[in-house]
Amino acid sequence: MKKSRKVLSVLLAAAMTVGCLTACGGGSKDEKSADSGKKSDVKIAIVCDSAGQNDNGYNQTAVEGAKKAADELGVEYKVVEPTNGIPAALETLAEDGYNVIFNLEYDFDALIKGVGGSEPIAEMYPDTTFVCVNDNPNVDESGNVIHDNVICALFDVHEASYIAGALGVQVLENKDVLFPAENYKFTDLDKGGRAIGFVGGTNSNGITVFSYGFVEGINKAAEDLGVNYDYYAKYDAGFADPATGSTVAGTYYNQGANLVYAVAGSVGDGVASKAKEDGKLAIHVDADKDDMQPGYILTSVIKNTSVPVFDITKAYVDGKINDIDRLQTFSLASGATDITDLTQIKNALADTDEAQAKWDEIMTYIDDLKAQIADGTIKVTNAQVGEEFDPGTCKNVTIK
Amino acid sequence: MELINNILYDTVYHSTPIILCVIGGMFAYKANVLNIALEGMMLNGAFISTLVMFFTGNLALAVILAILSTLVYGLVFSVMGITYKGNVIVVGLAINLIAPAIAGFVMKMMETANINLTNVNIAKFKINIPLIKDIPIIGAILSGHPPITYLAFIGIAAFAVLMYKTKFGIYVRVVGENEDSAKSLGIKTNFYKYAAVLIGAFCCALAGVNLSVERLGLYTNDMTAGRGFIAIAAIYCGQGKPVLSSLYAILFGVARSLAVNLSIYAGPAAGLFDIIPYIIMVTVLAVVSIVKYKNVKVRGFKNEL
Repeated sequence: MKKSRKVLSVLLAAAMTVGCLTACGGGSKDEKSADSGKKSDVKIAIVCDSAGQNDNGYNQTAVEGAKKAADELGVEYKVVEPTNGIPAALETLAEDGYNVIFNLEYDFDALIKGVGGSEPIAEMYPDTTFVCVNDNPNVDESGNVIHDNVICALFDVHEASYIAGALGVQVLENKDVLFPAENYKFTDLDKGGRAIGFVGGTNSNGITVFSYGFVEGINKAAEDLGVNYDYYAKYDAGFADPATGSTVAGTYYNQGANLVYAVAGSVGDGVASKAKEDGKLAIHVDADKDDMQPGYILTSVIKNTSVPVFDITKAYVDGKINDIDRLQTFSLASGATDITDLTQIKNALADTDEAQAKWDEIMTYIDDLKAQIADGTIKVTNAQVGEEFDPGTCKNVTIK
Repeated sequence: MELINNILYDTVYHSTPIILCVIGGMFAYKANVLNIALEGMMLNGAFISTLVMFFTGNLALAVILAILSTLVYGLVFSVMGITYKGNVIVVGLAINLIAPAIAGFVMKMMETANINLTNVNIAKFKINIPLIKDIPIIGAILSGHPPITYLAFIGIAAFAVLMYKTKFGIYVRVVGENEDSAKSLGIKTNFYKYAAVLIGAFCCALAGVNLSVERLGLYTNDMTAGRGFIAIAAIYCGQGKPVLSSLYAILFGVARSLAVNLSIYAGPAAGLFDIIPYIIMVTVLAVVSIVKYKNVKVRGFKNEL
């Protein structure tokens, strides 16, 4: 008994030591530089959020942007998955002489305001350029820029959601032509099938920006086709529990909805799973997740972080970093946000000329909308910058 | 009508994993070993079953390996907490932390953010009972669920019998109520504690399989979303009684189901339903303990503040 206890404690101690070592060593990964092409002494760093660099989306595209910058601009880059907090990672990288540091995590307090009585990191390293992605924390109450060495990058996801909404209506209206009937169980349009649902993780501007753009897109297409749609929305589904997503989507599908748009992390995975189960359609978000449930995810609204990473790095290399705006918004036209290339849903189309012709027609319609958004003919409400949404403008959508 | 059917169906849906954790966890509760690792064990069951299903497509193998691996966690918990008298809270917490960490690590190696079973059609798991499925209300409750859901509800009755009508159940309760007397009677107390924890691990594994493979066909990390802790609350409220504790589990199912289904009509306010079970539980726990200690006397005096 005594001996076994001793053995156990030795084992435990050994396990702990190993655990410690790996934990300490896990600070950073991947250090690469371009050997070919022109050299530059600029060093950039990507600080990933908790999803990590293989998330097939948000972080991964940022890394791709950094790779592209390394190939084309000759910069050196480093990808960090922080193990003991964003502030520590930012400080270490700035200390190591990285020129541009991209922070993908939603954690900006230490950088902008300083926490625990210390001065803001942005102030401690004035020669380093910090980039906050997906939020604009670098303004004070009166809207002035706080730190000159902090750039914020926002995505115009409302525009991509608008396109997704318009596409959704177009596809649903032509579902009988487009899809082989045996694979899907759509509700007839005349029996309540003209309904679309939205599942959001939390009721904040970061989520409603998707929903409002989406509604306006639905309204646009419904108006063009002379039909009326119902719109169901839930903004408190959380981000973690796919079972909730599945049942919420289930209630929408039972009500007749044929399409549900989920902006709620893992909850959206449950929505997509339910779409397959019920033989209807879902729209996913953040990354190209169309292949998760092939044929049942109409499209995904993507944030392509490679564009801001590359553009801002390029500005730095060209020496224009101090000339560009401290708030960079990346629109549909820039390619930083868009819907996917629709490969998966195209594979699910019926194998008829009629379906193909209809699909091409819809694509022309969508491309036209994109062009109109790009040249400003269509203005989509952007809740992210505080614009108010007026349901009265969407006469062809009944918001439940 | 459709709405009521949906509410009832979703109630069963959301109750099942909690019921499984409750009926598994109550043996440990009765044996006086608090198993707070229900959450981690359930997550492990969900993860291993999805992982095996992803690579092999063999449902039986997935379920068996999920159960076996979760039993390993149960054994680790027992060895640390029972044989070596470690603090069960700390050990349980460790299991709750390591289960998602391992899953996260494996998914990182697979370079994926979640595991999706594209080879599985979850509609096939559903058992539609002929005739009954067409009866309104009863059909929604009884028909169209995957197998483990039925097992969970049968389990309530089976485990009630096991706890109250068998030697095993009585011994487990004796060990929990007074370990010294149990020892003096020659009962191997540790054996019964081990068994109680392992029953819990077994049920949690099934709960995990139900949640991931059977219902969704996917695994995302932390998908159990606190259900294990809700189960612990339900066990406490029901004082470890199988039927009563399960009723509290169902209460959570009802609340979640209402919150989900009424959101179409009530909008965001439907989320308020989610707090009802917590209010009821806090009230019940408070009232139960007030009633219990109201007339307790210490050396002839009432035990007042």
